[in-house]
Amino acid sequence: MAGVATSTRQRSRIAPYLMILPALVYLAIFFVWPLVALARTSLSTMSGSVFLPTLTFAWDFGNYAEAFTTYREQILRSFGYAATATVLCLLLAFPLAYVIAFKAGRFKNLILGLVILPFFVTFLIRTIAWKIILSDDGWVVSALGAVGLLPSEGRLLSTSWAVIGGLTYNWIIFMILPLYVSLEKIDPRLLEASRDLYSSNARSFTKVILPLAMPGVLAGSLLVFIPAVGDFINADYLGSAQTTMIGNVIQKQFLVVKDYPVASALSFVLMSLILAGVLLYTRALGTEDLV
Amino acid sequence: MPNEIDRQLIARLAANRTSRRRFIGGSAAAAAALVLGPSFLAACGSDSSSQDAGGGETDESTLRVSNWPLYMADGFIAAFQAATGLTVDYKEDFNDNEQWFAKVKEPLSRKHDIGADLVIPTEFMGARLRELGWLNEISDAGVPNRKNLRPDLIDSPVDPGRKYLAPYMSGMVGIAYNKAATGREIRSIDDLWDPEFRGRVSLFSDAQDGLGMIMLSQGNNPEDPKMPAVQQAIDLVAEQKEKGQIRRFTGNDYADDLAAGNIAIAQAYSGDIVQLQADNPDLEFVVPEAGGTSFLDTMVIPYTTRNQKGAEAWINYIYDRPNYAKLVVYTQFVPVLSDMTDELAKLDPEVANNPLINPSQETLDNIYTWPALTDEQTQEINTAYAAVTGG
Repeated sequence: MAGVATSTRQRSRIAPYLMILPALVYLAIFFVWPLVALARTSLSTMSGSVFLPTLTFAWDFGNYAEAFTTYREQILRSFGYAATATVLCLLLAFPLAYVIAFKAGRFKNLILGLVILPFFVTFLIRTIAWKIILSDDGWVVSALGAVGLLPSEGRLLSTSWAVIGGLTYNWIIFMILPLYVSLEKIDPRLLEASRDLYSSNARSFTKVILPLAMPGVLAGSLLVFIPAVGDFINADYLGSAQTTMIGNVIQKQFLVVKDYPVASALSFVLMSLILAGVLLYTRALGTEDLV
Repeated sequence: MPNEIDRQLIARLAANRTSRRRFIGGSAAAAAALVLGPSFLAACGSDSSSQDAGGGETDESTLRVSNWPLYMADGFIAAFQAATGLTVDYKEDFNDNEQWFAKVKEPLSRKHDIGADLVIPTEFMGARLRELGWLNEISDAGVPNRKNLRPDLIDSPVDPGRKYLAPYMSGMVGIAYNKAATGREIRSIDDLWDPEFRGRVSLFSDAQDGLGMIMLSQGNNPEDPKMPAVQQAIDLVAEQKEKGQIRRFTGNDYADDLAAGNIAIAQAYSGDIVQLQADNPDLEFVVPEAGGTSFLDTMVIPYTTRNQKGAEAWINYIYDRPNYAKLVVYTQFVPVLSDMTDELAKLDPEVANNPLINPSQETLDNIYTWPALTDEQTQEINTAYAAVTGG
């Protein structure tokens, strides 16, 4: 009897490890290994022929210095665009998520469906569609021009505003959904209680709804900000020669200039800056759980 | 006859939308490369080819051709198969020179099969492969029709005696403008810097195609690309970019903006504009007064080919003027064979008379070509220009 008990206990001790094994193997092959390879490349020096270079691992931190000093402007610009887009997403998504969660009634699923619908169309096509909407001879430009609201360039397409607009539009769904989930979870009785205690609507919002929606704000901001910083499609199609983002630089370094060490170093600089930003942001908002 | 015209129009419209050098597909591949990193790509390359035995194997019944999209005429392959008894495995999987090179350099450096017996890169890429020793010589016996080549193409600075790189199509790199947007005729590079067109000019991000005509406008010649002369052109582009004159640096994606009127003047490839003109008669293509450059796509046989004879038969078939005319009528680029006017006129007189497809000698005399650059030169120019074009 004792023997059976031990083997069951042993099996139950091994079972969890067996269950996470596939995920671990997957992570090791598709995340850890490429990441280590990228880290090694970023610290290598290139030698030999130009088009078949030999990469020698040499702890060459000069790649990082070069990446950061040469492309500081594009790095700062990317963070500026992504932060602006995140704030815009939050401002646009919060009222929408609020209405869906509290006011939509039986139309809730319909509105949610409509929010998701455009995202069935591929990212690229949606971005290119904006080129047509914002084109110089289009009605948007002439309407804004008539009321004197055009940026200094006298156009919309190929300006920083088009890029920020594209980022906002393309990633806003990742703000709406987490916000909706956290607002939906709020117990209506809490709002009733605050009203019973003579709280004004504004006070209920700042004291009850907003704190309870914080996990959604945090998750949404991260889900929008992180991909937006590294994005290069929006800058490519909606931007100009003056709106290059760091994603465009990395793409070009890998595929045209073929300076793999500097390109890898840039990827790591970007990754660490995002990580640092995310940590500060999470600390500031003081939320433990993400959703 | 009306049916015939309709079909051609449809072909042109289809070609517009996804012109051969178009950028969209490339962006997705670039995204993948970004995520995965170069060493991972390299690893993929060697993994997928390691099962192939490579060099030694031959298969003389099948010919595997890898070409750019929309660079082939309807029925052409069937006719070739009927004429030679070969089976052609034709793939339109060549989208971008540099990305293709990034994909095949690993297997080719180990002499592993790359799944193609004949490939059609642009001449500079073909020259790079030849330098690396990765091409087979194309025999004279296998391609007797080589004598039909344009006299200026019979020899090449990057391939003395034309032994390895067989021209397929060529085109002019010049400027295109939208008459409705400029309101006047455009003749020279100086028009690009006219403050009237501020923010409505696009340049090529490719260094050779972008800088060649600018060097010519400064009294330099891309045929003698000394770094100070190249740098002078780069500096001018940088200055104009700072002023906000240049809206975008483009690949082939200039075409939509030009047709839509967002861009008034663009550096452009002749064939693209011929295709777009069918749709938008306001578009014009000119070789700038000081001169333009050309590009040339070439058929090459990788040294891993499994069917050398078949590949040569393919080149020879294409170098037959009546066959070649069918290709040109479809692709709208400049023929690489001489005396094509009669054959083109038989199929479509409009094509034969189009100066962008059948340019006059005077125009051809104003076209300059970059010489064979060393790898170091290419890299130096690419890096310097990339710093201006944004990364």
